[in-house]
Amino acid sequence: MTVTETRPSTADSSRPAPTPAQRVAAIPMQIAKSPHFARVLFPIALFAVWLLSLAAVEEIWPFAVDVLPTPSEVGAFMWDEFITDTLARKNLYETFYISLRRLMSGFAIAMVLGTALGLAMGLSRATNAFCHDWTMAILAMPALAWALFNSIIFGFDDRGPILTVILAGIPFVIVNVREGVRNTPRELFDMARSFQVPQSKVIRHVLVPSLMPFMFAAARYCFSIGWKGLVIAEVFGGQDGAGWTIKFWYDAHRAHGVVGYAAFFVIFAILFERLVFEPISRRAFRWRPQLQTEVVEEAFGEHHEHYGEEETARH
Amino acid sequence: MAEIRIKNLHKEFGTGQDKVVALENVNLEITGHSFVSIVGPSGCGKSTLLNILTGIETPTNGTVDITSDGHVAAPGYVFQAARLLPWRTVTDNLLFVQEDRSDSTKQRCQRYLEMVQLGDKGDKFPGELSGGMQQRVGIARAFSIEPDVLFMDEPFSHLDAITARALRRELHHMWDETKKMVVFVTHDVGEAVELSNRILVFAKGGSLEDDIQIDLPFPRDPADDEVAVAKAHVLRKFEELDLLAS
Repeated sequence: MTVTETRPSTADSSRPAPTPAQRVAAIPMQIAKSPHFARVLFPIALFAVWLLSLAAVEEIWPFAVDVLPTPSEVGAFMWDEFITDTLARKNLYETFYISLRRLMSGFAIAMVLGTALGLAMGLSRATNAFCHDWTMAILAMPALAWALFNSIIFGFDDRGPILTVILAGIPFVIVNVREGVRNTPRELFDMARSFQVPQSKVIRHVLVPSLMPFMFAAARYCFSIGWKGLVIAEVFGGQDGAGWTIKFWYDAHRAHGVVGYAAFFVIFAILFERLVFEPISRRAFRWRPQLQTEVVEEAFGEHHEHYGEEETARH
Repeated sequence: MAEIRIKNLHKEFGTGQDKVVALENVNLEITGHSFVSIVGPSGCGKSTLLNILTGIETPTNGTVDITSDGHVAAPGYVFQAARLLPWRTVTDNLLFVQEDRSDSTKQRCQRYLEMVQLGDKGDKFPGELSGGMQQRVGIARAFSIEPDVLFMDEPFSHLDAITARALRRELHHMWDETKKMVVFVTHDVGEAVELSNRILVFAKGGSLEDDIQIDLPFPRDPADDEVAVAKAHVLRKFEELDLLAS
């Protein structure tokens, strides 16, 4: 037998290095692809669509001039609210404090109860059979129905909105935790057993971390669905809070108040996501090498570039 | 000194028409600083035997005693896939299987990580390591509890040939240095001949068909004539037992 050996050249002749001019030409495309640019672009696009729609609607229906708020009216309203100069009974901070207190109470109860039920349903087929249809029924019920129902039962105190948050959020917690239990990594439990690791340690280091992604998804759903439920409950069964205040501006025929307060909701949700969920998520899931979406994007990007090169070569 | 005594071991899965015999009347003794490979075709009960030895599964009949100097022996396990906790660092994966987190335990874990050339990777997460590195962590984890017996279930079958060869050398070096008993399941006869001083051949249906001693000096190079002859000898046994077709 003869073995021949040829050392490959280290220089990559198939792909020449880009020239400085090519690098400069690629900058606009790099900016366009950047997620930071996309984030900035969205509010600009939104603002443009707002102004264009305003112009279009006023053209078609001139009466709308007094009804549709302009960005400047909404901005002025939001600034007044921000500096607590308001016509409503409670200022922005008191209002959001009241709503947040209700939301967090309902959220905490939904998470605790939902986790317990989800664990029970994941571990026991009988419990799952007993609770499954009811969970689906609660999941299918619109938050509006819970809000009306609870305001009839509890009147205008905190209990109605809190119960609405619980009922709106709890099915998402139950379903996610149950799926988490069903997807626990069996091979890791076997590994722990073969090394004779104590049960308490297995729960802390295997079961709980494996449930974390599902718990986190449950918390996000519960929070956002609960928040929407709370606002509706406050509209129908509250004497204060964010939902009641948006209704106050609606009753006062102040469209800029309604839009401005809705914008506060959005800002609140974004702040909560950025300041609470994202840092916790980053810390809890720092073991994940790369987010799946980024992997997909990279794969597509590479394929796209190669395809582009082939196309160019062909022409 | 570690000892494994298996008497009349029988294992079945399922009942009635679905009944499958995984191991049939296995009698076996392994003692001391030996490296024993269990080879055979798929479905011959290799992994079932290992699962029974490590307590993951219980036998239908028969007894298994694993002792060390009259006491119940402490086992270590290296799996086909590394089975690391993805949410814990490499060091924490080793500490997970320890009885305590004292300084001496941490130093011991670090020593074994260095033995598998991963001394500087203790604070990495498994997802940041290659497949070969992850399997090295699995080996370090098994050695770090300083077991009396080490069970390994096709630990290199998922790796490329070059990485597997490097790891086989490291494993042999660690076995030689720590004087542990290793029970190694593989479907690769060449691997078994390179590493073991005893090869147990299982046939489909879970019966122990042959017990071959390989008395060649270590380290063994697969390219050496004597190793090639030994491999050919084991393969001939496979032919005699009609195991190659399956």
